[in-house]
Amino acid sequence: MADLEAAIGADRVRSDAAARYLASRDASIYREGNAGPVCYAGSTSDVVACVQIAARHGRAVSPRGAGTGLAGGAAPLGQPVVLSMTRMDKLLEVDLDNGVAWVQPGIVNLDLSRALAPHGVHYAPDPSSQAACTIGGNVANNSGGPHCLAYGVTSAHVVAVEVVLSDGSVATLGDLSAEPAGYDLRGAFVGSEGMCGIATSVAVRLTPNPPAVRTMLLCFGDVSDAAATVSAIIADGIVPAAIEMMDQRCVTAVEDFAQAGYPSDAAAVLLVEVDGPPGGVAIAAEKIAGIARRYQAMSVRTAADEGERARLWKGRKSAFGAVANVMPDYYLHDTVVPRTRLVEVLESIYEIVDRYDLIVLNVFHAGDGNLHPILAYDSRVPGADERVHAAGREIISLSLDMGGALTGEHGIGVEKREHMSRMFSEVDLDQQARLRASFDPYCRMNPGKVLPSAHSCSDIAALRASDAAGVWG
Amino acid sequence: MDLGLHDDELVACVSCGLCLPHCPTFVITGRDTESPRGRIALMRAVQNEDAPVTDDLIRSMETCVQCRGCETACPSAVPFGHLMEGTRAALAATGRITPRWQRLALKGLRHRRLLMAGSTLLALAIRLRLVPTRRFGLPARMPLRRPRLRTSGRDVWLFTGCVMDAWQRDVHLAVQRVLEAAGVGVEPTGGAAPCCGALHIHAGLESETKDMARQVMAGLSGDDRPILVDAAGCGAALKDYGHLLGTDEARAFSARVYDVHEWLAGRLGELQARHRVDPLEVTVAVQDPCHLRHVQRAHQAVPEVLEPFVASVVALDDDGLCCGAGGAYSVMEPELSGAIRERKTAAVARSGATVVASANPGCSLHLAAAGLDVRHPLELVDQALSSSRS
Repeated sequence: MADLEAAIGADRVRSDAAARYLASRDASIYREGNAGPVCYAGSTSDVVACVQIAARHGRAVSPRGAGTGLAGGAAPLGQPVVLSMTRMDKLLEVDLDNGVAWVQPGIVNLDLSRALAPHGVHYAPDPSSQAACTIGGNVANNSGGPHCLAYGVTSAHVVAVEVVLSDGSVATLGDLSAEPAGYDLRGAFVGSEGMCGIATSVAVRLTPNPPAVRTMLLCFGDVSDAAATVSAIIADGIVPAAIEMMDQRCVTAVEDFAQAGYPSDAAAVLLVEVDGPPGGVAIAAEKIAGIARRYQAMSVRTAADEGERARLWKGRKSAFGAVANVMPDYYLHDTVVPRTRLVEVLESIYEIVDRYDLIVLNVFHAGDGNLHPILAYDSRVPGADERVHAAGREIISLSLDMGGALTGEHGIGVEKREHMSRMFSEVDLDQQARLRASFDPYCRMNPGKVLPSAHSCSDIAALRASDAAGVWG
Repeated sequence: MDLGLHDDELVACVSCGLCLPHCPTFVITGRDTESPRGRIALMRAVQNEDAPVTDDLIRSMETCVQCRGCETACPSAVPFGHLMEGTRAALAATGRITPRWQRLALKGLRHRRLLMAGSTLLALAIRLRLVPTRRFGLPARMPLRRPRLRTSGRDVWLFTGCVMDAWQRDVHLAVQRVLEAAGVGVEPTGGAAPCCGALHIHAGLESETKDMARQVMAGLSGDDRPILVDAAGCGAALKDYGHLLGTDEARAFSARVYDVHEWLAGRLGELQARHRVDPLEVTVAVQDPCHLRHVQRAHQAVPEVLEPFVASVVALDDDGLCCGAGGAYSVMEPELSGAIRERKTAAVARSGATVVASANPGCSLHLAAAGLDVRHPLELVDQALSSSRS
C-alpha cells in the first residue's frame, strides 16, 4: 500500500472495503471476485510502477475498465492489485494520413467516435454497451457489435498497441505499416483478456463515415421466418452493415424505455442496416424488403430520419439493461452458431428454457450467428440459480454440437472457463497456456481467467499465495 | 443496517453500467464508488448482506449530486432518486450525515420572515465585504430590498418558494409579467407556501419534508388552480408529493403542478397573438436543469418557449450532464461541484453562446459564480416583450 501510494499518489489508491467491494465485480452475475488495493492509473508510468511494485511483493495485477463485462473477466481473483484505467481516457492523436488514432485505453467507445466526428470518421466496432465500455476492455475481449458484420471485430481495428508486460517493461506490438514484420503479436494480444499484459495506448483504425445509411425494421409473425430471412439476405450476396434480431419478449422489454415504435405483436423483429454509396444502398434496401416479404414479413419500415434511426438503435442497445423490466437477474450467453442452423437452434433454446421453467429473451447479432439468449430470473426464488445454470449448460452444449463456439464477443472470463475443455482438446489448451506464458511466465496478469484450472498451474499458485497472505495493509 | 429501501426497487438494477457516462461524479472521478451502479450495490450490501456502514460508504452516498441523470439513462427504470433519498433518510436518522448546522439552516427556510430578514442581513454583509462569497458559493451581489409581490388575478398560482424569493424575486416578477402578457391572472404563493422541502429531502430529513409538504398543500388548497413553478428543483419536489405522502390528496395536488415553461409551451399562440415581438439579438445556450430534464422530463419546453423571442437558441452537446449545483451540493462538496461545473462551462464555450438560460435558481447561481451570464429563460422573454412594447 505504502509503496503504491508513494509511486502514484495517495489520492489514486483506495483500499477501503467499499472501493474493493465494487472493484471485485463487473456486469455479470459472478460475485466471487476479491480485489486488493484499487489503483487509478493516470499514465503509462503509473501502470509500470504498479506492476513492478506488485511483482516485488509477489502480487498479481488485474486491469479494469468500465466494468461492463459479462463474463467476469474483470473480476479479480486472489486479491490482486486492481488497476483501474478509467482515468486514462484521452484521445492522444488523430493521424488522418495513416488512418489511425492513438487513444488511451480508458476512453469510452462512443466518446471516441464522437470525438472523431469532426473528421468525418468513426471507430467501427460498436458493442451494445458502447456508451459506457472502454477501448481497453474492447481490446481485451476482442469485442464485436452490430456493425462488425460488415466491418469486422476489434482485432481488425487495432493496428498497434503499447502494453506493459508482467515484469514492468513496455513494448509496442504491431506498427502502422501495411506489412508488419515478424509474428503478429498484436493479433495474439487482442482478445487475451488482460492475461498477457495491460494496454496503455492503442492505435485504432479510423473508418470513414458512410455517405448513405438506411435502417430498416422488419417484423415477423414467426421467429423462423425472421431467421430464414437472415440466411436469404446473406445468400443473395448482400452484406448489410448490421442484421440484428430481437424476439417478442425482448422487444416488449426495450420499447418502454426506447419509445422507438417497436411493435408489440411481432414474434420477432430484424433490424437491418445497409450503408455505402446512395445508389447501392437503395438497391440493397429494395432487395432486402423483397426477401422479407417473401418470408411473410408483417411489415417493412424504413427509418425516416436520423432521430428514428437513433431510437431504433437505442432500443436494440439497451436490451440487456432492460431485462429488469421482466425479472431482476439475468444470465446471458454468447454462443455462436452457423447462420444456416439459426432456426433449429432457436427452437431448441425455447424448448430447453420451457423445460427448466425459465424465461428467455432473445436478442442477437443474427448476421453472424452470435446468439445472446438472456435467461431472466429472480435469484431470490429458491432453486432458480441452479435451473438457470443447468439450462445454460444445455444451451452451450447445443451450440457446440451444432458446430458453433463458446463465445462470440464477451470473452471467457471466469464464467465460461470450465466449458473450455468442451470446445478445445488438451493439446489446444496446452498451446494456449504456453502462448500466455510467453507473455507472462509467472501468471501475474489477471490470473485465473480463460484457461480451465487444470491448465494454469502457476495461476493456482499465484492465487493460493495471495489468499494466504490475507488482507492488504 | 436496514435502510428501509423497497426490495423490488433495489434489485431492479442489473449492473449493466449504462448509467456510468451520465453520472457527473463518475465522469469526474472514474471510480465505481462514485457511480449510480456502485452506490446501488453498496445500498444492497448494507441492507441485504449486513455490510458495515463505513465512512467511505457514507462518502459514496454524500458525493451523489442527486441529479438523477442515471434515471433517464436506465433501460430498467431503476428509481435511483427514491433509493438515494431513502438511504439518506436512514443515515440522517442515525445522525451520520447532515450536520447540525445544516439542519438548523434548513429549518430556517420554513420561516419566511426570518429568511427574508436573514437574507437582507447577508446582503448587507456581502456589500460590506464581511462574507467571502466565493468560498460559500454565494452570489457576489444580493438584493437589499425586494419589490412587493402582488396578485393580478386568480387563474394560476405562481410558486415563489424560499431562497429564490429572497434572492431572485426579480425572476418571479419577470415570470409574472410574461404570464400576464398571455392574459393570465397570477397569484404568487408567498407566505401561503413557504418552502417545497426539496433541500430537506436531499439531506435525508424525511419527516420534516413531509410536514412541509402538508403545509404547502394546505396553503394552496380550496380550489384546483394550476400551480406554476419557475424553479425546476421546486417543481420536481412538488410533483413528487404524491409519492412522498402516498395519499390521494397528495397525488391530486401533484397533478396540479407544472413547470412554467411546460405550461406556457401550450399557450405560446396566445402570447404571440397579443404581442408583436422583435427577438433579442442574442445567442442563448439552454442549460437543462437536471430536475427539469431527468426528473420532470419537461426540458424540451424551454427552447420551445424561448425560440420566438431570441435570435438563436443552441443546445449544449453534453447530453444534459449535471452542472454540479445540486441544491446545497455546491456548498457541501465544493471541490467535486467545481470540477463538474468545468465540464459545463466548457460545453457553453463550445456552443458559442453569450448568454446561458437556466430554469433553476441553484444552477443559475452556481454557473454565474463561474463568470457566465446566466438568465432565467422567462427573463429573456420578458425583456423581449418589454422592448417590443416600448
